[in-house]
Amino acid sequence: MAKKEYVKFVDVTKCDGCRACMVACKNWNDLPAEQTEFLGSSQSHAKTTADTWNVLQFVEHENSKGGLDYLFRHSSCFHCTDAACEKVCPENAISYTEFGTVVIDHDKCVGCGYCVQNCPFEVISLKEYKDKNGKEYRKAHKCTMCTDRLEEGLQPACVTTCHTGAMEFGDKDAMIQKAEKRVQEIKDRYPNAQVYNPQGVGGTHTVYVLAEKPSVYGLPENPKVPTSAVVWKDYAQPVGKLMLGATTMALVGAFVTNKFFSKKTEQENGGESHE
Amino acid sequence: MIKSVVSKEYQNLQKELIRLQAQWKGMINPETIKPNLDKAAMAAGVPAAALTAIDFEISLFQQWIEDINTLLINHNPELEAKLSGIEGLLNEETAIRWIEEAFSFNHVYFESFAEEHGLEPWIPQFLAETALRPYLQKTAEMIQPELDRGVPGAGCPVCGEPVRLAALEDEGKKVLHCPRCLAHWRAKRLECSHCGTEDYEKIKFLTIEGDATSQIQVCEDCNGYIKIIDTRQYIEKPSAALLDLNSIHLDFVAQENGYKAVGEKKQPN
Repeated sequence: MAKKEYVKFVDVTKCDGCRACMVACKNWNDLPAEQTEFLGSSQSHAKTTADTWNVLQFVEHENSKGGLDYLFRHSSCFHCTDAACEKVCPENAISYTEFGTVVIDHDKCVGCGYCVQNCPFEVISLKEYKDKNGKEYRKAHKCTMCTDRLEEGLQPACVTTCHTGAMEFGDKDAMIQKAEKRVQEIKDRYPNAQVYNPQGVGGTHTVYVLAEKPSVYGLPENPKVPTSAVVWKDYAQPVGKLMLGATTMALVGAFVTNKFFSKKTEQENGGESHE
Repeated sequence: MIKSVVSKEYQNLQKELIRLQAQWKGMINPETIKPNLDKAAMAAGVPAAALTAIDFEISLFQQWIEDINTLLINHNPELEAKLSGIEGLLNEETAIRWIEEAFSFNHVYFESFAEEHGLEPWIPQFLAETALRPYLQKTAEMIQPELDRGVPGAGCPVCGEPVRLAALEDEGKKVLHCPRCLAHWRAKRLECSHCGTEDYEKIKFLTIEGDATSQIQVCEDCNGYIKIIDTRQYIEKPSAALLDLNSIHLDFVAQENGYKAVGEKKQPN
C-alpha cells in the first residue's frame, strides 16, 4: 500500500534553541535521562545517543562580516531515501516504512554496530543491555520519526511541540518547496543559506534550511552511501546467499565486512574466522 | 499506540458514507435552500436550519437511501435480507415524513415505524439521518460565513445538535465542530458550551493516559462535557464526523464519570 511520502522540514533560522523538541522526544518515546558533562555551551549532549534521539546543537559561528552568529540546529536521524544503515545491516533489521522513515527492528538487531559505523550523520548508537543471566548484549537505537504516531495520522512529537514553527511535517514536495522559498527569503541575512537534502543518499526525509554551509554544523557537504555498503548489500549478500546458503554466508560476511568497512576498528589477529 | 477503539472496518464504512455525503451535497441545487438569517433569533439560540426554507428533492433523497443500502450490503452481505423491501416502503409521502422526523431527531417515530414494518430498530433512523445530512451540510456551508460564536446551551447554531466536540487549531484556538452538519464556530477556551459558565474553578479537564491528542472538558456546574481534540497534531485534519466517531471512548469515560452530553443547570433547593 503506497502511502504519501512525508518530510520533516526543519528551518533552523526559526529555531530559538528552547529544546522542547528534545523533551517531547524523551517524553513520547519514554527515553531515560542521561547525566552529561558541561560542554562549554548550552548544548546538553555532544551528539545523539541511544537514549537521546534528538539533540539541539548550538554553534558559535563567526559570519562573513566578522559578527557572531549563534546557530541552533535540531539534529536527529535524517531518514535517508538510500540509507547506509539499511544497506549494511546483516540481519535485515533496518527497513523503510510506507512513510519513507527508516526503522530498526529490535527483535532482529544483533548489535553488530555496522549501522553505527556507516551512518553518514552519526545518529545511530548502541545501547547495552544485560539479560537475566548477566550476559551483555547490544541493540542499535535512533529516532523513528515517531513512526508509531504517523501510523495513527499524527505528526512526530518534536514537530507538534515546536513553538516557533521551526519544524513542520507534511507532504514531501510541498515541504521541499517551502524550504526553497524560505532560503530566498533569508538570503539577505544569511548569504550562505541553503536547503540541505543531500542527493548522495537519495535525498532525506528530514530536510533542513541551514543558515550556513553544512560543515559549519558539522554535517558532511555531500554524504554518500559507502561503496562498501552497496557492494555488501547489492552484490555480495544476494550472490552469497544464492550460492552458499545462509550459514556459510555468515563466514563470508565476516570476511567481507572486515575487508571493506573503512571505519571499522582494527580487528585482533585471526579475527576473520568466527569459529 | 491506538488512537481509536472503533474497528478499522467500521471506520472505513463511515469514511465511505462521509465521502458519499460530500458528493451528494454537491448535487444539491443551492437555489433550493433559502436561509433566513434572523440575527435576533440566532442570538437567542434558534438553529438557523429551523429558519431556513429547504425545498427537498424527494427523488434525490430516495436515491441516496438506495445508495446507502447498496453500500451497507457491500460491507456486510448479511444485511441484504434486513434492508430489502425498504425502498418499496419509501414512497414520496413516507420520504417527506422521514425528512421531517429526521430533522427533528424524532427517534420515537422511527422506532414505531420499524416496529410497524418489522424492521430492525436502528434501520429507519440511520437511513433517514444519513440521507438528510447532505442538506444540513449544504445549509451549514451557506451559513458558515455568518457564524462566529454560538450560544452556550443552544447546541449547534445551524442544526441544533447538542455540542460535544471541539478542536484546538492554529495557535490554540478552540473551535466547536458539529459532527452532524459540519458547521464550526469559535468558543472561549474556558467556557462551558452547555451552561456558559466561565468560572475556572468549575471547569475541569479529564485526560486519558497515553492519549496524547484529546481531553474531556467537564463542567461541575451543569455536569455537561465536551470532547476537545488537539487537531494541530494531525498530519491531515479528519472531518468532524470522523473525529467524533474515533473519539467515542471519551464519551464512555465522561458518561461513566457521571457527566452528560447535554448539561443541566442544578436547581437550587
